Amino acid sequence: MTWREFQRLQMVSRVNDRFISHVETGDGPPVILIHGIPVWGYLWHDIYLELARTRRVLIPDLLGFGFSDKADCFDRSIAFQAHMITAWMTQLGIPRATIIGHDIGGGVALRMATLFPARVEALIVMNTVCYDSWPIELMLQFGHPEAHRKLSASLAVRLLRQALKRGFASSRNRKIVDGLLAPYTTETGKLSLIRNAAALNTNHTTEITHLLSGIKVPSLVLWGEEDRFQPIHYGERLVNDIHDSRLIRVKDARHFLMCDQPEIVTKHLLDFFERTVSSRHFKV
Amino acid sequence: MKNHPIPEEEAEQELDSIFHEIKQVFRVSGVNLNFRTWASYPTFFPVLWESIRPVAETRLFEESSDQLRALAARLAGKLPRLDAASSVGLGDSQIFQIQAALNLYHYINPKLLVITSMVEYACQHPTMSAFQSQRQDHELMTRGIPLHMYPMEMIDETPDDATRRRTFRDIQRTLGLPGINSDYRTLALWPEYLYSVWHRLKPVVTQPLYMEAALALREAAQHMASHVLPRLTLSEDQLRILGRKRTQFFETTAHFTQLLPPLIVNIVLISLDWRSRQDLEKSPFPIEFSSPVLETSP
Repeated sequence: MTWREFQRLQMVSRVNDRFISHVETGDGPPVILIHGIPVWGYLWHDIYLELARTRRVLIPDLLGFGFSDKADCFDRSIAFQAHMITAWMTQLGIPRATIIGHDIGGGVALRMATLFPARVEALIVMNTVCYDSWPIELMLQFGHPEAHRKLSASLAVRLLRQALKRGFASSRNRKIVDGLLAPYTTETGKLSLIRNAAALNTNHTTEITHLLSGIKVPSLVLWGEEDRFQPIHYGERLVNDIHDSRLIRVKDARHFLMCDQPEIVTKHLLDFFERTVSSRHFKV
Repeated sequence: MKNHPIPEEEAEQELDSIFHEIKQVFRVSGVNLNFRTWASYPTFFPVLWESIRPVAETRLFEESSDQLRALAARLAGKLPRLDAASSVGLGDSQIFQIQAALNLYHYINPKLLVITSMVEYACQHPTMSAFQSQRQDHELMTRGIPLHMYPMEMIDETPDDATRRRTFRDIQRTLGLPGINSDYRTLALWPEYLYSVWHRLKPVVTQPLYMEAALALREAAQHMASHVLPRLTLSEDQLRILGRKRTQFFETTAHFTQLLPPLIVNIVLISLDWRSRQDLEKSPFPIEFSSPVLETSP
């Protein structure tokens, strides 16, 4: 699927004063897939249709990302994104959902599970930011306000494309990387991404560390073993802190494990869905 | 040698501050081509802006632009519908964003035509001194970009892909444009849609009714500049700053007064696929006014 085909599937919701674009398909219990930085919902294009066989799958672009609102007048921190996703769920009439987050999307998911537990049915994080694992050096530099003047959009995308390659284990089809960066090729897109990077704040995960042990929903930590951006020891730490959780190491995968190993990641997700449903039934 | 427009992101120091103020005063999310082009006259542009600013933030200016927008909607309403969206498989979010982008230009283009006509008039009729002596009461607009305004996002003037490059070339050739306007560059975010719009617009722009509409808008703006609005104060001394570039600046400004009326008509025509003529007669971003302020020129 090309990024343009994916974009064409996006719907739109007004949430408070802003708008969020999202793809939605399938029937069943809702599952929300949240991307990280510097990408957008297209990240999930290889795996979401399979999940939609048994689930209502929703893939939002976080505020300031992809084809959601990019106006230069709002907070883009993961703290605010968690509020926005919750408000967006309310808007769509979704009281509770399985939240799957990758990278800073994982940070959003962790905040939701700790701060808005009533909205989270189950939690899956993949190569997520957590504790003080972030922001990575590249994003710190990118988020400097002067970056807007120092980097043209084309140069910024060239640098990001180069950097993103380190997030893939296999030499990916260039079109996928181009698709992941497509919304940021304009000056507006670049500025929005710079503002997103400027909003990355370690405190938004360190401040919830003491709450991780209070997460009561079934949780899965999936990790591309060879990730250079978010090393796996953070995943190991997370499963120690989250009570009902399990770590699955995905071999031959780096940061973008859902692109490196889509079949394996999908299988683990489907297994988790199956087990959590079974365990719920068992508990009942 | 022609002056090249200065991209917003390349503006530094004083120019960056002026661009910021333009967005605040004009209540717009980006700096349009005419300002970016005027900015390429670096010593004159701050003088010009100081002349424009006090007028551009008045209620009278906003209401004049509103009248021009309403006139454009009435005139364009007589032209054939484009129906450009029906042949393109657009998604919900894409439609939402196209409409938001059209609203942005539907709002700003009439304001640009009014101000450009005022600059043209001021160039033709320079004042004796830089300051006017009369006292004027002006009700001021609330500054700032409207909360729901779409960012002025646009693709590069020379896009990577051949289809968009071809469409841009055709637009430039047909309309006799020296560069490609922000409007088309924004619509090019949805290349199939731009292609469809242009494919349908191209035969319309040569119709007498279309040209009459554009001319009526231009004349209305010229009338506002010369008879309705307070005139911009540009003195002979100030215009002398332009030096040998004076004629070029005048020509460039005159060119914008010709360019903007068709653009205004085009945006209405494209918007008519989604909204009624009556709806388009209203401002997409109606303003609030601060309490009357007595402004006294020295």
